[in-house]
Amino acid sequence: MVKAKEYTCIGCPIGCPLQLVHKGSKITEISGYECDRGAKYAKQEFTDPRRGLSTTVEVAGARWKRLPVKVTGPVEKGRILEAARKIHELHVEAPVKLGQVLLKDLMGQKGIDVVACRSIERSG
Amino acid sequence: MLGRMESTYDVVVVGGGPAGMGAALGARDSGADRILILDREGEAGGILWQCIHSGFGLHYFREELTGPEYAQRFLEKVIDHDVDLATNSYVSGISVDSDGTKRVRVMNEQQGLVSINTKSVVLSMGCRERTRGSIRIPGTRPSGILTAGLAQKLVNLKGYLPGRRVAILGSGDIGLIMARRLILEGCEVVGVFEIMPYSNGLARNVVQCLDDFDIPLHLSTTVAYIHGRDRVEKITVAPVDKNFRPVMRRARDIKCDTVLLSIGLIPENELSLSLGIQMDVITGGPRVSSTLETSMPGVFASGNVLHVHDLVDFVTRESMLAGQFAGEWAQGVRRPEDNIRLLPGDNVRYCIPHTLSPEREHTIYMRCKAAMKPCRIRVGNLMEKKLRFVVPAEMIIFKIKPDLLDKFHGDSLRIDILPATKGKRHGKG
Repeated sequence: MVKAKEYTCIGCPIGCPLQLVHKGSKITEISGYECDRGAKYAKQEFTDPRRGLSTTVEVAGARWKRLPVKVTGPVEKGRILEAARKIHELHVEAPVKLGQVLLKDLMGQKGIDVVACRSIERSG
Repeated sequence: MLGRMESTYDVVVVGGGPAGMGAALGARDSGADRILILDREGEAGGILWQCIHSGFGLHYFREELTGPEYAQRFLEKVIDHDVDLATNSYVSGISVDSDGTKRVRVMNEQQGLVSINTKSVVLSMGCRERTRGSIRIPGTRPSGILTAGLAQKLVNLKGYLPGRRVAILGSGDIGLIMARRLILEGCEVVGVFEIMPYSNGLARNVVQCLDDFDIPLHLSTTVAYIHGRDRVEKITVAPVDKNFRPVMRRARDIKCDTVLLSIGLIPENELSLSLGIQMDVITGGPRVSSTLETSMPGVFASGNVLHVHDLVDFVTRESMLAGQFAGEWAQGVRRPEDNIRLLPGDNVRYCIPHTLSPEREHTIYMRCKAAMKPCRIRVGNLMEKKLRFVVPAEMIIFKIKPDLLDKFHGDSLRIDILPATKGKRHGKG
């Protein structure tokens, strides 16, 4: 059966309204885009939508209570909340260095790590 | 050096956010010797520390960074370049002596009230957020009403959640980003309410912060009343008519305990005003020449205190330029005065700088009033540039080459944004 999905392109501020027509898992037509980024984005969103993720974790012994962290690769869109919950279980102690790996292979995904986005000193 | 503050400098930079750090590095590049950054917070870096999302640095570092990563990289550069940096230091006033020396009054917890002499000053104080008072939302005054940026600080630095069930008024990017942020932290976001018929944030933020989490965006809708005695209990929302007045017969109540406001920024220009500097009523910032110098000789301005930028990368670029000219000034360079005024014309909200000189190339920063696509920018009768689109949320940046201005003999240049093709009909053109 032929079905259609709608997306808004995030490639630039125009935000082209995209339409993707598909038969099961086969894409038959993509329309509405003004440049190639739109077509690529719609295809990615249809086949394997992923998102970057940054959040904070608890840090003890530092100027602030929270330490900003990010994942080093995009996470499946449907598992973002699960990923955030997993990351929020982390507790770290200052000092921390920028780029320090706090958790390896998030949710069993090889090479997707959680790293610190800043250094933070130990403070009295 | 971190924590060092002498009594005499070549360049003093007020504010240690991205603008101030860029200005200090620009001043160093110009060859200026003694440079000081003053920041009222406990660490320099400004708002970047709490902007934990990514999207920073694509232009300047050619990679996508989070706010804290961008801040740290810059802060390390500043320290490496032997710039003095005094934190917990509040500038309470600036005055100018008869010989042009600037006297900066600083309040600092170690030294108390001190006075620092400097040849030039860069104003880079940034913005603060508009609050409930600036749009006068009717209702009671319970706790639980705060600006989106304050909520961002509480959540991302201090580890407090501002509430459990949150409504967001205004669809600026900070509001959209906070909607996603609060969902990730386990809050419920009942909706984003925007008085305009379009979102004020970038399309990517509407998609990734709202649509991804099924948060409704209500356009042409506003918060008409806030209820609650001690704590916010509910809000009344209503669609607005064409004069932006709420239509109360179509109003409805929504239960929530928190209202976040994402309704715009105000350049923090108390110091500029106390110096008697000429201001631009549209940007809310100082009027500046092509060297980013204000109407007070030797006082320069850059970053969000001058006009609100979309990207920190643009703040950095503009501020490095301001710092270079401030550093030159401190070393005695006096460039010929600008002799061309730049005037906003059709569909142009503002343009920066306010004046130009035929002496060198200029980068023009401007914003349109209304979306238009496709279109062209016309600069007097000197040049035309085609653009696929303009939208108010995106700054327009282009260059004017010096050879163009060489042949120009008028005293003012008008910039217009016009529909691309003559005779063709456009929505609102």
